Amino acid sequence: MPIEIKHLTHTYMPGSPFEARALNDICLTINDGEFIGIIGHTGSGKSTLISYFNGLERGASGAVLVNGVDLSDKNADLIAVRRTVGLVFQYPEYQLFEETVEKDIAFGPTNLGLTPEEVERRVVHAMHLVGLDPSRAKKSPFDLSGGQKRRVAIAGVLAMEPSILVLDEPAAGLDPAGRHEMLELISDIHESGVTIVMVSHSMDDVGRYCDRLFVLSHGEIAYQGTPAEVFVHGEELNKIGLDVPECAKLAARLRKAGFDIPQDAYRMEDVAGYIVKNIGKGRSDR
Amino acid sequence: MNNVIIDARNVTYRYEGGLSDAVSHLSLKVYEGEFVAVLGRNGCGKSTLAKLMNALLLPTSGEIMVNGVKASNEDECYEVRKSCGMVFQNPDNQIVTTIVEEDCAFGLENLGVEPALIRKRVDEALNAVGMAKHAHSSPAMLSGGQKQRVAVAGVLAMRPRIIVFDESTAMLDPIGRRDVFALAKKLNQEEGITIVWITHFMEEAVQADRVVVMDHGRIALEDTPHQVFAQMDKVLSLGLDVPEMMKLSARLRASGLKLPHGIMTVEEMAENLVKLRNA
Repeated sequence: MPIEIKHLTHTYMPGSPFEARALNDICLTINDGEFIGIIGHTGSGKSTLISYFNGLERGASGAVLVNGVDLSDKNADLIAVRRTVGLVFQYPEYQLFEETVEKDIAFGPTNLGLTPEEVERRVVHAMHLVGLDPSRAKKSPFDLSGGQKRRVAIAGVLAMEPSILVLDEPAAGLDPAGRHEMLELISDIHESGVTIVMVSHSMDDVGRYCDRLFVLSHGEIAYQGTPAEVFVHGEELNKIGLDVPECAKLAARLRKAGFDIPQDAYRMEDVAGYIVKNIGKGRSDR
Repeated sequence: MNNVIIDARNVTYRYEGGLSDAVSHLSLKVYEGEFVAVLGRNGCGKSTLAKLMNALLLPTSGEIMVNGVKASNEDECYEVRKSCGMVFQNPDNQIVTTIVEEDCAFGLENLGVEPALIRKRVDEALNAVGMAKHAHSSPAMLSGGQKQRVAVAGVLAMRPRIIVFDESTAMLDPIGRRDVFALAKKLNQEEGITIVWITHFMEEAVQADRVVVMDHGRIALEDTPHQVFAQMDKVLSLGLDVPEMMKLSARLRASGLKLPHGIMTVEEMAENLVKLRNA
């Protein structure tokens, strides 16, 4: 049970005129090997929540357990926790700073005090995982395209060999093709055995890739479950500023018009199948 | 047809030390009052084109006229920037002061406009973007969408004829994105401001008057949204996406449903399917 959060509440600037409750009594569990999606509009508490996952924020009321270690405990080994939980911030390419791609990726593992051989092995492996050609190793990361830079930044986190990877809006700002590649890449990393927590605004993306979703609204978990279970609440989600995938919207509309489409259908291939069934094959062949 | 307000003629731009042209022999006319969406994969030259429209960059060769002023002439750059405002991707890069209304006044103050008129224009601009009640707030306390609206107000206070939005919704959440896009639409329809809207979001592009798709510094496609997205394979090969409903439409046609071409929205799709069932 890698991450377990119990009754977590976080208040920004307590006692000041700007006091704001960012998280309110959050309880959640993330299991080994899951691909979790966290969705919510700006200010819903997503980023605050994930900064608790590796102890960047701590000390609020409630408990955060990573592999059974309580992070609010003063004696908790945060360095070990940060090796276990890798955090990739929004627009991580702004964190790049080294002269070459390989030096940038090596920064974390080198600070762990690993042997040069081990660092080298990890850099090569991380570059492979994110699909960066080995010929890029000696290049300046600043000469790469935006999408490639982001891969370097993610490789830098992967080189720490975390068992849980948390990504905040990993596809933001990329073009559609780059977006698709990035999500496939994360899916590959998941297949390699890493637990994934992905923060996203895109219902289409989380619907396609995630096993389970947590929808945050005003610092609370408004909905949770499989994508199908969550998308059933299309109208309510809309009210809290979120969209359901287009095909789920279409299915809802068609249901109102008397089509027989199950509540939990949201994938294009499923919805298409039901539409064809409803309209009838005999009629469509003519 | 309205007057041409931006006229790029055979424009080429190559960054210093660049191995190829960022914008290559590109010609484009934008008409007064138009809402033009510019699409293309990262690195295709969209942002370079935007900066050429605003004289932030000057063409390596060719010329570009903006509202009757030669934007390719360095001496005219301030004139060009008065008529063509620009909103960037990250509002944090554009907002310079610590109070919302001061930020809006920044451009006008630099032009030496008299204080009473600045007051009036700033109030109008903040009203137009729906941020008047935050006039005395610090931009740091605002959401991304609100900050972007402040950036738009700062541009609006300059009374531009054209506003270029360079991926101004990329960093926003769905609500912020909808708000800023709706604001651009409103400025276009109610104030007649010409909009050049650079984006990666297809659902925004389908709402433009015209779509220009760039590839390797050139224009690859240029037509109405319906005509552009009807060329699904070509659009996908240019690194873009097509609206979900167009993909579904292709899938349904492949399984034998007689759906018309060009369905882009959920509403259109639902209407056509109900019609088909009742036929």
